[in-house]
Amino acid sequence: MNIHTYEKTWLAVSMVLIVGFIATITYGAVGPGIAMIDDDGGSIDPDTINDDERFSDPGVTHVGGNEYEAAVVAQAWTYTPSEITVPANSTVTFYVTSRDVTHSFTVAGTNVNTMVVPGQVSEMTVEFDESGEYGILCNEYCGAYHHTMEGKLNVVPQDEFDLTELSTDASDEAQLGNQTTINTTVSNDMNYDLETTATLEIGDQQSLEQDVTVPAHGSETVEFAVDTTDLGTGDHDWTVTVDGHEESDTLTVTNATEGGDGDA
Amino acid sequence: MRISKGGLLVIMAFLTPLIVELRTVLSWFGIRLSVVETGALGLALIVAVLIWALWPSNGDTEAKLA
Amino acid sequence: MRNAYIDQFPEEARVIRATLWSSFLALMIGGTLGLIQGLHRTNVLRFIPSQDYYTVLTAHGVLLVITFTIFFLVGIFTWAVTTSLDRGVKDIRFTWGWYAMMTLGTLLVGVSILGGVVDQIPMNADVLYTFYSPFQAHPAFYVGFVLFVVGTWLAGFDWFRTWWAWKKDNPDERIPLPTFMALTTMLFWYLSSIGVAISILAFLLPWSLGIIDSVNPLLTRTLFWFFGHPVVYFWLMPAYMLWYTMLPKLSGGKLFSDPLARVVFVLFLILSTPVGIHHQYLDPGIAEGFKFIAMTNTMFLLLPSLLTAFTVVASMEHGARQRGGEGYLSWLKALPWRDPAFTGMALAGLMFAAGGFSGMINAGLSINYLVHNSWWVVGHFHLTVGTAVALTFMAASYWFIPQLTGKEIWNRSLGLVQVVLWFIGMTFMSNAMHRAGLFGMPRRTAEPQYQGFSFDPAVGTVAEIDAQIALGAALLTLSVYLFITNMVLTTIGGSTSDAIPDNTYAGTLSGPEDSPAIIDNLKLWTSIAVVLVIIAYSLPLASIIDAGGLFGPGIDPWKPSVVVDPSLVLESVRGVMP
Repeated sequence: MNIHTYEKTWLAVSMVLIVGFIATITYGAVGPGIAMIDDDGGSIDPDTINDDERFSDPGVTHVGGNEYEAAVVAQAWTYTPSEITVPANSTVTFYVTSRDVTHSFTVAGTNVNTMVVPGQVSEMTVEFDESGEYGILCNEYCGAYHHTMEGKLNVVPQDEFDLTELSTDASDEAQLGNQTTINTTVSNDMNYDLETTATLEIGDQQSLEQDVTVPAHGSETVEFAVDTTDLGTGDHDWTVTVDGHEESDTLTVTNATEGGDGDA
Repeated sequence: MRISKGGLLVIMAFLTPLIVELRTVLSWFGIRLSVVETGALGLALIVAVLIWALWPSNGDTEAKLA
Repeated sequence: MRNAYIDQFPEEARVIRATLWSSFLALMIGGTLGLIQGLHRTNVLRFIPSQDYYTVLTAHGVLLVITFTIFFLVGIFTWAVTTSLDRGVKDIRFTWGWYAMMTLGTLLVGVSILGGVVDQIPMNADVLYTFYSPFQAHPAFYVGFVLFVVGTWLAGFDWFRTWWAWKKDNPDERIPLPTFMALTTMLFWYLSSIGVAISILAFLLPWSLGIIDSVNPLLTRTLFWFFGHPVVYFWLMPAYMLWYTMLPKLSGGKLFSDPLARVVFVLFLILSTPVGIHHQYLDPGIAEGFKFIAMTNTMFLLLPSLLTAFTVVASMEHGARQRGGEGYLSWLKALPWRDPAFTGMALAGLMFAAGGFSGMINAGLSINYLVHNSWWVVGHFHLTVGTAVALTFMAASYWFIPQLTGKEIWNRSLGLVQVVLWFIGMTFMSNAMHRAGLFGMPRRTAEPQYQGFSFDPAVGTVAEIDAQIALGAALLTLSVYLFITNMVLTTIGGSTSDAIPDNTYAGTLSGPEDSPAIIDNLKLWTSIAVVLVIIAYSLPLASIIDAGGLFGPGIDPWKPSVVVDPSLVLESVRGVMP
């Protein structure tokens, strides 16, 4: 075949360029070790998402050290959880699946980007270095309100991060003279026990403290006994604080014989 | 004219990607141009090209234009 | 005595006119829709509800990349085969038959999409051009698509038949280059459309008719992309054919090398299909190894385009020097820049270089994380199909319409302005799209203005990007209207002219005799193409079916329809959440 010299040169340079591209991309996969989304996440039946070990309680869990996992369920047109907080200097493996149609899970302005296909679980490990706030958006058409689908990703400094949650269980009313309790359940999803102090502030005077140890991936309930005699009748706002997390409500202390407001 | 009218039109058209991308390239060297400044730069380039194209070359254009 | 195409093949000229007009109509409507989109998502002008944006987008995609491109292709290939073999089609009624089939298919698809905004039409197909399941369109959408594609298969058969008849009369001759290009293109089209045909006929259509209960979304998605990448070469090959067989002649010269042109088309036949997974780099359920293979195959697809760049420029230089051009670069001045057919194709080729390289970025495996489904991708394909193909087609029309009608173009200067305006408009729009994609602006989104966060461009502001998009879109739409105006006035006005040049295509400096005969062995290349496809796809498809089942785990269909109130929908959604 008769090929002009210039064309032969061009052909050679083209091949070098192509091989060069393949080489740099291969380096990207092997050197910095950027893995592509693949079938490691496994498959799932979208109807069983609520019963799935991972997705029945979506959110961030601590695996150990600086490693975390985040389970996210995408559906038209929201992410659950819609706000995700992780610490800086961490490695987070996301597991994302869809209840209905194909979505994406994309952190705008970064290379955190994956397709979320119903029937599949996308597994994606991300290294977070610095703290910052990011938006999560869906870039795969998922229906008429696709453009409203967004979430938030907060990367917070390590000392500001925990996986502690509070929930309280207390009566709204109590009779003057009786004892009532405010129960606070502290859950800890880190991989180590949490030793901390729970504080209850009620009324102007009372401030009770209790030390509590919450086991890793577990919870512990603290009971605060409240003496209504010291409080007196009326509405009393109270707040339980654990490690910067707060829960508040109001206790109404009524007269011994009357119900309703005490207007004495 | 140094080049045909059609050729001039094409060169002007080609200035569009040049100017648009120039703004991005300059940002790599820390030079940030606003939209107005980019437009002014573009206008200057267009005028420069027009002057080059319409400038008589070596005097014998006088005869051609006549 | 005039010897234009209409004089040589008057009956075929009529069919080709019909295909080109179908193509132009789709271009005009699709282009107008693009303007609506561009103004809507940048918040410059919104006059439709955002939910309808997705109907508009579906129509824009389908009309431009299926209807406009492929109707033009079947017209041009009919010209190419009949001209280069110097014989007409076997039965013109068969030719009109496949044209009618394609038209009927288009109408069905069009009406089903229109149902998304017209309440009186009880159909909906707001599924976008890629129609991913579990979205389920009205059956008419799928039936229409099938009819259209089968119509193109029949068109290919028409040209193969003509070639076989010619071969009987010319047993020892090499296939003339334009026919060679048409046949190799159709061969990979047959191979690649198998994917989408299976997806529709075995899964999506029966599913939309209620014959089967569910489909496997990843499987149908993968079958779409089996077809979805080669289809871009189906759009590109007619443009390449025009650059190889028309552009050198318009430049005043000859094609630099016929053998290398054949090699280029053989490479596309072999490599177009086993790369589809590069559209699925971020898909779960597909192992990384398959994605890596798709990447290397894709990188080798750079080769035929780089070779084309050489040949096209070399041929233009040859033509320029024939016209008296001299010097290292000064020969550029000698090219016929006043001819809109030439200038349009040259600008299209230039823009394709940029588009090709942004495509390489898309193909770059891990780089794809940054750009996937962002507006970068949209910027990329507006350079490639939107300019390399669309602008070449418009430019070529300035040569073809006179050939098909016997009339001179109504206003050639307007034609020149039109093609230059397209180039400028596309520069603005595509540049803004690429830059927006890099900071995360998503594609296929009616209102990319989010509540919880804002985008962070490296240079300039989002408002500037939006303005640039609106400007570019407006210029492009103006360009399309100028093109259509010129075409309409050429066709309905004016009298026939004897000054139309003869129907010819470029000669070659290095002819087919300079290449080994094996190049013309279409069976061999097709076999290799099939083997490569089997290697690239059998394992991924098997693993998808193995993991999820042929029909999936029973995922409900999602019929997109007008949703009244998102809060109502979210209420029901909250009911489902644990």
